[in-house]
Amino acid sequence: MKGSSSDFIIIGGGIVGCAVARELSRYEAKTILLERESDVAMGISGRNSGVVHAGFYVEPGSLKAETNVLGHRMMPKICHDLGVPYREVGKIVVAKNEGEIKDLYKLKDNGDKNGVNELRIIDREEIKKIEPEVEGIKALYSPTSAILDPFLLNIALAENALQNGVRILLNTEVTDIKGKGPFIVKTNRGEFRSEFVINSAGLFSDKIAEMVGIDRYKICPCRGEYHILDKNRRHLIHGMVYPVPPREPGGLGIHLTPTTDDNIFIGPSAEYIEEREDTANTKEIMEKLYSEAKELLPKISKKDFIRSFAGIRPKLIKPDAKKSRDFVIEESIDNFINLIGIESPGLTSAPAIARKVVEIIKRKKRLKKNRKFNPKRKAPVRFSKLSDEEKSKLIQKNPNYGRIVCRCETVTRQEIIDALKNPLGARNIYGVRKRSKATCGRCQGGFCIPKIVEIMEEFYNPSIDDLTLKGNNSRLFIGRTKDLRKND
Amino acid sequence: MKKKFICIVCPNGCEIEVRYSEKRIEKVSGNLCGRGMDYVKRELFSPERSVTSSVEVRNGSLPLVSVKTSKPIPKEKIFAVMDEIASIEVEAPIRIGDVIVRDILGTGADIIATKNVDKRIQS
Amino acid sequence: MIERDVDIAIIGGGPAGLSAAIAAKKSGIDNILLIERNESLGGILNQCIHEGFGIEIFGEALTGPEYMQRFIDKVEQLRIPYMLNSTVLDINRKKHITVCSPEDLIKIKAKAIVLAMGCRERTRGQICIPGTRPSGIYTAGCAQNLINLKNYMVGKRVVILGSGDIGLIMARRFKLEGAEVLAVVEILPYSSGLPRNVVQCLEDYDIPLYLSHTVVDIRGIKRVEEVVIAEVDEKRRPIKGTEKRIECDTLLLSVGLIPENELSKMAGVSLDPITNGSIVNENLETNVEGIFACGNVLHVHDLVDHVTLEAELAGESAAAFVKGELRNESNIKVTAGKGIRYALPHLISGKRDVKFSLRVTYPDRDRKIVVRDGERILKKIPRVRINPSEMIQFNIEKEYLKGVNGLTIELE
Repeated sequence: MKGSSSDFIIIGGGIVGCAVARELSRYEAKTILLERESDVAMGISGRNSGVVHAGFYVEPGSLKAETNVLGHRMMPKICHDLGVPYREVGKIVVAKNEGEIKDLYKLKDNGDKNGVNELRIIDREEIKKIEPEVEGIKALYSPTSAILDPFLLNIALAENALQNGVRILLNTEVTDIKGKGPFIVKTNRGEFRSEFVINSAGLFSDKIAEMVGIDRYKICPCRGEYHILDKNRRHLIHGMVYPVPPREPGGLGIHLTPTTDDNIFIGPSAEYIEEREDTANTKEIMEKLYSEAKELLPKISKKDFIRSFAGIRPKLIKPDAKKSRDFVIEESIDNFINLIGIESPGLTSAPAIARKVVEIIKRKKRLKKNRKFNPKRKAPVRFSKLSDEEKSKLIQKNPNYGRIVCRCETVTRQEIIDALKNPLGARNIYGVRKRSKATCGRCQGGFCIPKIVEIMEEFYNPSIDDLTLKGNNSRLFIGRTKDLRKND
Repeated sequence: MKKKFICIVCPNGCEIEVRYSEKRIEKVSGNLCGRGMDYVKRELFSPERSVTSSVEVRNGSLPLVSVKTSKPIPKEKIFAVMDEIASIEVEAPIRIGDVIVRDILGTGADIIATKNVDKRIQS
Repeated sequence: MIERDVDIAIIGGGPAGLSAAIAAKKSGIDNILLIERNESLGGILNQCIHEGFGIEIFGEALTGPEYMQRFIDKVEQLRIPYMLNSTVLDINRKKHITVCSPEDLIKIKAKAIVLAMGCRERTRGQICIPGTRPSGIYTAGCAQNLINLKNYMVGKRVVILGSGDIGLIMARRFKLEGAEVLAVVEILPYSSGLPRNVVQCLEDYDIPLYLSHTVVDIRGIKRVEEVVIAEVDEKRRPIKGTEKRIECDTLLLSVGLIPENELSKMAGVSLDPITNGSIVNENLETNVEGIFACGNVLHVHDLVDHVTLEAELAGESAAAFVKGELRNESNIKVTAGKGIRYALPHLISGKRDVKFSLRVTYPDRDRKIVVRDGERILKKIPRVRINPSEMIQFNIEKEYLKGVNGLTIELE
């Protein structure tokens, strides 16, 4: 695909790339986002606990702190405009013994320096009032810490950007970059020319930077494993419950995080690994997560797990480093903006990072406002959350709302169809899962996957090879039932 | 030669030991009844199995109809029978008991439908 | 919204629901509603295309679809009302049911409810198998649905975890359709399936059975590429150094069934933590008056014939309840003693014959099941073979139950 040139190419459709895309769509410009997977939110952003941090973990004066605090302030309106679930459930950081209390004060001090209001140190009595099931002697309470649905946010940012004129190309992997403003970005699906390139390629952002001769950044993949608890345990905590962070820069310690779908995430761990895409769960860590979580919340049991997963942090520091490194948000060479090492609080910071990218661009290029920019995107129907009257009205208009496909999460046939009809064109089980929540329940798709496949067949008549779990050769089937015998 | 079987004729599941030569059974022990003896005799010299599977359907409300052999067939012919039914299609409507293939591969057993499949409703 | 009043609402149109409905109708109740979430009646039998159903009830070895059709025909013949594509969203103690159907949201007030929702499968996530999350990992029932009903072959080089009947049946199914089954892996030192199935599904096809083994890793980024199995010790923990890699493209999980009692919990029904099903009395009534349970939602069965008989009792009891004829005098507790995993019903009156259903905790030969009231032994039932995977049922006549204070059932 040669010919017309763009103003901006964004590499990577994770939370940062899509936030940048939306921000750029506020201006009149030709913007293309290139994503190598079959959908947005498939890399680092595909494995996220959805926490909107208030900003007391991050080092004062850093880009992490600046973007965290601003992002936290921007998030409620963004979620409201885009129809993304957002809940200010609060967070407590719990000290289990006397020795940990000073760490609480350190965190509060950090927060104060970062301009985070409303942080309070609370005692055991107040802990019990907020979280009756949690054991602790003192805690730092952050009432404005929040949770959101990170996949719906990522998707909503992309869809809103698309709606406002950004082109989004899935299954498009950048293989090389030539030239220097305009850049020629080579991909497996043709070449693209652009005045600016924004590198938000997550785990591969160092490789992308290398393509234009910037090799001072090396991603050190650090894996975090999680367990997901059944919804029937949601009542055990009210908001987020974290222990005091460990001393070494390996991560935040093992957290209990409720989700906007009423599950609880236990994790993450922190383990430096060799293979940057190795998202396997390991026996040792899974057991450790369980025993440490049980210290915080004695009432959970192994029977409560419905799924485990792992995500990879794009750390810029080696395992033996003493301090964490800051975000890289810089115009490393003319018109090439690198966004590297965007680990936690990356989700919270994303909208603020996007603003910073625009600020950097504005120094070099005049940007004219897009008069037709619409910040709003309609939230998809969540049948399970409607009142009986609303449910009835919908069914009367459309009987596909009256047929439940995913019985664990009460997702209707129409919601599956809508998920498949998504404007990005992502059409696989994970795409349906992120948008409709089907397969996210305790049976993990055992009941509904055959039904979803049937709907896929009816809806767009895919070939057997196109029926995948998460795009890109993750085929569900090897053929029809009789094919192995027919080929004999 | 010696061989052990778990008899499947009734829930007792006797462990039966057989001493045999190429064409004859010499001794049978461990069975609580005569049916067990018949079972091991058949299993040793001419094992048979019922086969259940599915056949592709044309113009049906379902893509497959479940089928079974009308009586057990020689064990060594199972895969050949499976290849045979993989190559055919049957037209809907189908009713339980319909003969899909008569005397499959000369075994004397028919392939019969075990499910009702209506004609597909054209929309 | 539509509002309806029914005498008996039956949740689930599989073998349990069908038989409960027929029994209730035959007991004189007309205002019955059978609620089924799938597109057709028959429940799990639709996809159980193998034989072995109906040996006790009909004296024939039918396939699942043939068995279910007999009951579906009866339901049609008796003109019992049913709804398809209809899912119960909510029930409460007052027996008010909310049903989501293509017609509308329907609010039902029932005098009695029969719970017949069946069960679901234990998943990879629930047993925490380490490794990646590629495509090609299926629970056995899901694969059975895809292969037998949806016309999709899920893989061609399969490893099966779990040697219960479903795993064994699927091993044979794969072989018959031309796939390779590289191993069946079982964590216990014995297969948990019926001996008949071990013979006809594994031995017939030379499929290796690894007892006292489990899957310790799954590898593959997009699709399963290999699994790693290892031997386990007597505490079922993997033994280091015994790992074996098996290249495959499919991992099939047959690791247990769990009665689907989410709705029952909403209605305030108490569950037995061993069976994961309701606590019931000899009428199959739960602790909530007028709510009855039968079939796999009450406890997981091995023979559908037993489901049918159990469901008949539930249907009859529900009908009697509606007619005001059901007396609940069941306050004698039944306890599962040593060697017995669970025994149903949990409560009896001592005034009626009772059919007990139970499972033992380990396999053995030549044992006796003892039913006693304190020190007094009421009955001894000898068994040539006992196996946790084979439900044991026996009757105790009311004569034996006179003056009983509490029953314990145990292995001698």
